[in-house]
Amino acid sequence: MEHLLSIIILFPAIGALLGLLVDTKSIKTYGITISVIEFCLTLFLWVSFDSKAIGFQFQEIYSLIPSYGVNFHLGVDGISIFLIVLSSFMAMLSMIGLQEKRDIKHLIITILMLEMTMTGVFAALDTILFYIFWEFSLVPVLYVIGGWGGKNRIYASVKFFIFTFSGSIIMLIGILFLSHYYYTQTGTWSFSITDWFNVSLPYNIQLWLFGAFFLGFAIKIPMVPFHTWLPSAHTEAPTIGSVILASILLKMGSYGFIRFSLPLFPDATVYFVYPIAILAIIMIVYTSFVAFAQKNIKQMIAYSSIAHMGVITLGTFALNSEGITGSIFLMLGHGIVSGGLFLLVGMLYNRVHSKEIDAFSGLSTIMPMYAFMFAIMIIASVAFPMTINFVGEFLIFLGFFQVSPTLTIIAASAIVMGAIYSLYLFRKVFFGKLKDEHKILKDLNKNELFTMVPIVVMTLALGIYPKPITDTIDTSVKHTLSIMKERAVLEETKRLINE
Amino acid sequence: MLHNLILIALFSPLLSSIVSALFIRSPKKLGIFSSILIGISFISSFLLFVFYENSFSYSLFDWLNVGNFKLSFGVLIDPISLVMINTVTLVALIVHVYSIFYMDEDKSINRYFSYLGLFVFAMMILVMSDNFLGLFFGWEGVGLCSWLLIGFWFENNDNTKAANEAFIINRIADLGMLMGLFYIYWNTGSLQYSEVFAQIPNLSNTTITLIAMFLFIGAMGKSAQFPLHTWLAKAMAGPTPVSALIHAATMVTAGVYLLVRSNEIFALAPSVNIVITYLGVFVALFAASMAMVSNDLKKIIAYSTLSQLGYMFVACGVGAYWVALFHLFTHAFFKSVLFLGAGNIMHACKNELNIKKMGGLYKDLKVTAIIMIIASASLSGLPFLSGFFSKDKILESAFSTGYLDIWILLLLGAMMTTFYSFRLILLVFFVPSKEKNSHTHDAPKYVLYAMGILGVLSISAGWIINSFEKFINIPFELNIEHSTHYVMILITVLAVIITLVYTICKYKQPIKEPTSKINTILKNEYYIPYLYSNIFVKLYKKIAEFLYEIIDQKILDKFYEKLAFSVFNFGIVLRKLNTSNLSIMIYFVIVGFLLLLLTNFIRILL
Repeated sequence: MEHLLSIIILFPAIGALLGLLVDTKSIKTYGITISVIEFCLTLFLWVSFDSKAIGFQFQEIYSLIPSYGVNFHLGVDGISIFLIVLSSFMAMLSMIGLQEKRDIKHLIITILMLEMTMTGVFAALDTILFYIFWEFSLVPVLYVIGGWGGKNRIYASVKFFIFTFSGSIIMLIGILFLSHYYYTQTGTWSFSITDWFNVSLPYNIQLWLFGAFFLGFAIKIPMVPFHTWLPSAHTEAPTIGSVILASILLKMGSYGFIRFSLPLFPDATVYFVYPIAILAIIMIVYTSFVAFAQKNIKQMIAYSSIAHMGVITLGTFALNSEGITGSIFLMLGHGIVSGGLFLLVGMLYNRVHSKEIDAFSGLSTIMPMYAFMFAIMIIASVAFPMTINFVGEFLIFLGFFQVSPTLTIIAASAIVMGAIYSLYLFRKVFFGKLKDEHKILKDLNKNELFTMVPIVVMTLALGIYPKPITDTIDTSVKHTLSIMKERAVLEETKRLINE
Repeated sequence: MLHNLILIALFSPLLSSIVSALFIRSPKKLGIFSSILIGISFISSFLLFVFYENSFSYSLFDWLNVGNFKLSFGVLIDPISLVMINTVTLVALIVHVYSIFYMDEDKSINRYFSYLGLFVFAMMILVMSDNFLGLFFGWEGVGLCSWLLIGFWFENNDNTKAANEAFIINRIADLGMLMGLFYIYWNTGSLQYSEVFAQIPNLSNTTITLIAMFLFIGAMGKSAQFPLHTWLAKAMAGPTPVSALIHAATMVTAGVYLLVRSNEIFALAPSVNIVITYLGVFVALFAASMAMVSNDLKKIIAYSTLSQLGYMFVACGVGAYWVALFHLFTHAFFKSVLFLGAGNIMHACKNELNIKKMGGLYKDLKVTAIIMIIASASLSGLPFLSGFFSKDKILESAFSTGYLDIWILLLLGAMMTTFYSFRLILLVFFVPSKEKNSHTHDAPKYVLYAMGILGVLSISAGWIINSFEKFINIPFELNIEHSTHYVMILITVLAVIITLVYTICKYKQPIKEPTSKINTILKNEYYIPYLYSNIFVKLYKKIAEFLYEIIDQKILDKFYEKLAFSVFNFGIVLRKLNTSNLSIMIYFVIVGFLLLLLTNFIRILL
């Protein structure tokens, strides 16, 4: 029990290493088994999690570099626990739905390694450990895109790597500076954020450090104008890569804001609320427009992902419980929905080998089941009530409305613009006359149903009854806000933050 | 027991939707099964009305509890919601029965009944919810079903385009409504009707005006008020029973319902009420003018719906909320039966929609014709029919609040209504036809009986006006003297009858309608749909393409690429320095040594 988090992190890694011994024929079954067990472990984590308790649970500390206070420090709270569950959930489903002919063995091993880094990022409380997982996650993704991608895969993977790496290297400088500052204040070295919370930072230092962390997170999210790596990565990536990229990896950035930027630099956060909100709004409107101009289904979903990440960012900087809880809930929602959409596009690609919107027409006649699932994902993606995304977007706009009604109106145009491109996509692909060459297409098979049904069920279930999850998130968000209030050095900040 | 009735009324349409989608394979059984479930829902609604004593709300479950935001979904049973659920389920029941006949040969009948059931469920949520968010859920839900049903025959691209347009225009309005909800929440701390209405009088005027304005924007979308009206005419692409249920009787009146429901907010926002009133009058005349020249059977009725919605908004605008609700109630019957009649005509004429190509159908479709004549008469406000009571009340209310101009305009509207309604009747049923329609036959008996119920209600629903007023109990004083009152009624009735006689004389024989400029403008619906699709939609596309191709691809992406390659090229330049030539290396060593010396020297100097 007390080692549950390290087990969750190490289990897929060990699974990956042992996977080298498994032969190619049975590797898929092996991969599914590992990821199902991992999912059960995370579920067990959720069940044993005390949703009323404040602060981190399941904490574990092992010393890594004692002289500099670098520890293997893990712990989860209401903010991170669901992201861990989401990671293992999506990894499991994309593993079940995996339809890859080329070198499937190494692909599965890579995905398992990736799973370790994802859970590690969300569970790490030591910033160096966080940074290690954060950077290490680049390697499997680089490998997945570069190894199993489309025509332009090398370009896309290198672009992805350079972009995200250059952002995070600046974040590393920030981390080192902060630990040194902690050392000068207390006389001991520590990289653990729970320790850092005890020291208040002067205002001007906060501004600089906020900037350093911001670059790392903003490129990962990706915020406009740092977003151009994402569409090309999605276009080239194999389905499983896109799924994990969209559902989990982007969330690391928005998670970083909530876990680090907000509580560590409260005054700087307040200072940057408007610039970032405006950037987020530009991001929403801009990418919603751009998504409409796409001719490739995957790219359209990729741009729509950026728009959704914009909404998530906006919610984070509402700096109230409604906005931040909504932001975390939308991370889950978008994780499930965009993952589902990428899975569905992959299923179509396996049949027709095309992702062009114009290549399809009237598919709902021949693939009704597929059309139904796609429809659910599309309406969830336009934040339709009773679907998971509505809860998040509603809370975010509600929360941000307190900050600025005018900006909220502009930002909430996302619900109109999202409908414009999503319904256009759906109409083009599923309505109209079926093309002759598509008359032989088969509807979803059992394996694909197994992949998609859990996603559809979660999309609807959490949209209808989100309370069990939002309650847990809310407790931790309130705690984070109280930390912000406590650590703020300016009176103005203390006044602005509502718990 | 009441709680159980609520649950039955609410969830049997959902059950119908799910079962229709998944289980029943025989079309007849499917239709009967769905109709029975909707019938059960209607009976439960009716029983709720019978057993009604005091309004109460019944909490279903806690939906969300975040920060200070608490919301539990619940059902509110009060006079307004009782009127709505009874109207909705009754019309839905008849439309379901009608659909057994109408959709008989459609191979997607399962999908059809499933959507229809889902629609009724969403509509029930909309009108039964005890809070604004639940209303919003139903609001969006009916929008979704409307999208699904307008584009029901999805092989035709025009249908699906119309469906998307309806959804997107509604979304624009929903955005406004959402803002209204946010204003309400941040000012009253709740979205529950009872708490909100209790708090409203304490708010500042500006806030109330903003709230009312945003809620009204929401209402404008669903009720297709100008300038968000274009979708309604295009929505006629859906199956005709759908037009009867969604685009005449229920969904489009949701906007009126919203205004009636939040009358306590609107009552305190006089400036918004003026806008509502004048916009309502404008739409009433604007839509009627288009209906007068249109040759499309369904579009005429659609514009008529639009025009009548304008009347309802006028009633809301002048504060006569119960009158608005009463007109909504009577309108639901005569308008839906008009659509169902249109469905019979289309069925008989092989889906022909142009009324100029019809004529002389009376002898084949006697029952349909009679029902439609009754409904049209009721719509025109001929004495002692339903429409007479409700529409006349709207005119009186406008008059009594001092809007003489509006009274005159509405009277004009009533005359236009009579004109287009009977123009349609005469052209379809009585004008001798040029072409011979060989195999025309009326709908089966059970369908005609079902329509007959609506026909009877078109006659008699208005008779309960006094008890309706007492039941709804939203006070509104009519300050008209008895003598003036009688004169007004006389004027209205005379105006309508004169128009009726004029129309009958004019369309006794097939005549060529003049093709004047005004006529062309009206036929093109004031060029507004043209404006939307050619200017707004094209502009949107252009912006999207510009942002993607120029900004995203040419500028941003190229910039990063250049940046990356410049680092790479810089590396190539530096590589040249590293030549493994010993003499060059020694130069570097010496230069480096000199630099070190220099820096040290400077430090000493400083």
